[in-house]
Amino acid sequence: MEIRPILSALMRSKVSMILIGLQVALTLAIVCNALFIIGQRLELMNRPSGMNEADTFMFGSSGFGQGYDGRAVMKSDLAVLRQIPGVADATPSNSVPMSGGGWGSGISLQPKQKTSSADTTFYMVDDHGLNSFGVKLIAGRNFTPAEIEDHDQGARVQPPVIIVTKALADKLFPNGDALGKQVYLDEDEPRSTIVGIVEKTQEPWIDSKDIEHATFIPYFLPYGNYTRYLVRAEPGRRDEVMKAVEQKMAEANPSRIIGKLRSLQQVRHEAYANDRAMAIILGAVIAALLAVTALGIVGMASFWVAQRTRQIGTRRALGATKFDILRYFQTENFIITTMGLIAGGILAYGLSLWLMQQYQSPRLPWYYVPVGFLCLWALGQLAVLGPALRASRVPPAVATRNV
Amino acid sequence: MLKMTHLQKVYRTHLIETYALRDFSINVREGEFVAVTGPSGSGKTTFLNIAGLLEEFTGGEYLLDGVDVAGLGDDARSRLRNEKIGFIFQSFNLIPDLNLFDNVDVPLRYRGFGAADRKKRIEESLSRVGLASRMKHYPAELSGGQQQRVAIARALAGSPRLLLADEPTGNLDSLMARGVMELLEEINRQGTTIVMVTHDPELAARAHRNVHVIDGQVTDFDDEPKLRRPVRDGDTAAAIA
Repeated sequence: MEIRPILSALMRSKVSMILIGLQVALTLAIVCNALFIIGQRLELMNRPSGMNEADTFMFGSSGFGQGYDGRAVMKSDLAVLRQIPGVADATPSNSVPMSGGGWGSGISLQPKQKTSSADTTFYMVDDHGLNSFGVKLIAGRNFTPAEIEDHDQGARVQPPVIIVTKALADKLFPNGDALGKQVYLDEDEPRSTIVGIVEKTQEPWIDSKDIEHATFIPYFLPYGNYTRYLVRAEPGRRDEVMKAVEQKMAEANPSRIIGKLRSLQQVRHEAYANDRAMAIILGAVIAALLAVTALGIVGMASFWVAQRTRQIGTRRALGATKFDILRYFQTENFIITTMGLIAGGILAYGLSLWLMQQYQSPRLPWYYVPVGFLCLWALGQLAVLGPALRASRVPPAVATRNV
Repeated sequence: MLKMTHLQKVYRTHLIETYALRDFSINVREGEFVAVTGPSGSGKTTFLNIAGLLEEFTGGEYLLDGVDVAGLGDDARSRLRNEKIGFIFQSFNLIPDLNLFDNVDVPLRYRGFGAADRKKRIEESLSRVGLASRMKHYPAELSGGQQQRVAIARALAGSPRLLLADEPTGNLDSLMARGVMELLEEINRQGTTIVMVTHDPELAARAHRNVHVIDGQVTDFDDEPKLRRPVRDGDTAAAIA
């Protein structure tokens, strides 16, 4: 390998080498951190909600006119919904995961605790709630129909029984003995008994620190004349059921407006729109940076090939094979890229530290930089391949031309 | 050492054929110093390119040190060139970004010699041309004559059996030209075969034998090696002046 003479020759034309090296360094630093941020966003976007999102949808019903009885309509709607062919189950619910709006509160182990033991969201559902959400009960039992209470907006939340997620149960009772324990949803008595634990569901707020802290409460709770329903269709029949539900609900009661039916997949899509946009923008920035770096390498290598045509011919005349010439340019690029990558590696970790300090971002995992090294080495070698092949085709007779 | 028989080099386009060499025959024996002369465009450089395996020919036969080079692939030609031939170019063709040591090292690396062997050869050949003390200098720091000496050292480092010189003094003033010419004669006396292309009849006269080329054909072939006349100070300078 001709590393030493190539390096020594490069040191005599430092400007081009420094410019390309700097470009490679910046690309590595930015690409590593941007990829890490994209990875984090994708991880957030793909967190499972614990629900059967593919088959589930939600909609709201707003009654109007005098004498509209929201609670009565809710009960008759549920009877209609559960009769529609293709409906696996339906429940009223004040909110759903990822929807962005809901009811959150503290939950305590002692009455009148100054600071609650954990934060949670409340999903007020009936005995069909767990089945409609599609969550998995891993301990205890579901609500019984007798436990479902009519609840009024503004009244204190003091249900005798509740069902919590495992994450919340573990937070409240780290020993794993939450089932049957009593907690306080309100600062006063009475207490609520945990009768069931579900594997997983999420809060409505996707940026919540404790996103899996959720509590199911057995309440019928219309918000005045407004009620939100969650419907789970039989597998693969969601779209068909959505159309049928829209029609049946309109027929069942003309004194109300049915809001837009939204599948849980759509809810997720909308909830993570900003994260997706950021991932796309960062992806575009990465693509642009890589393209600019590759073009920079192509440009520099092409210029050097043109500038050194006589020199290449001389090397050929002195015995270099085409492969020797190809290898020369590939090695030269490898050296420049490696120097840039070493600087870029330091820069990447530095940028990560700065992001940690400024935005409480997690630390860049160590393996991003070595993987980035490999990718940019490959990019550099690919970018220089065209000019290097052109160089290898310079005929040796060029050496004797007196231009 | 170098034997071309009825060699032909034709450049073809879809309209015309141009003969750069036509029925070109020459036989250079081992240890000879042959000068190839002729006017510009006569085919001297084409001959040199073909002799040095820098270009392929279109007809005839070429034996280099007994090897029939017709049909050799590009890599085989490169290896043969590296092993058997040393080149001296009119414009020296040193690599400006490499110091003298690394310039001389170029053909040796392609030859695959080990580092210690290369170092020994480089030091010996630079000593031979009187530039051992300037190994770390760059070509731009040398005079034209010194640069051509480095080029000669580079050509000699691999111990080639044939030295091809293309107007080796063409870019030098008379004093430097004389020095280079004396060096070539010295190298020849030590056994290396030299074929020198020149348009200068005075320089050609110092070779053992002259081949005159016009329109791609050998027109005057002095087949009998002549006795070298003694070189005296001022001869070359006077000839060039």
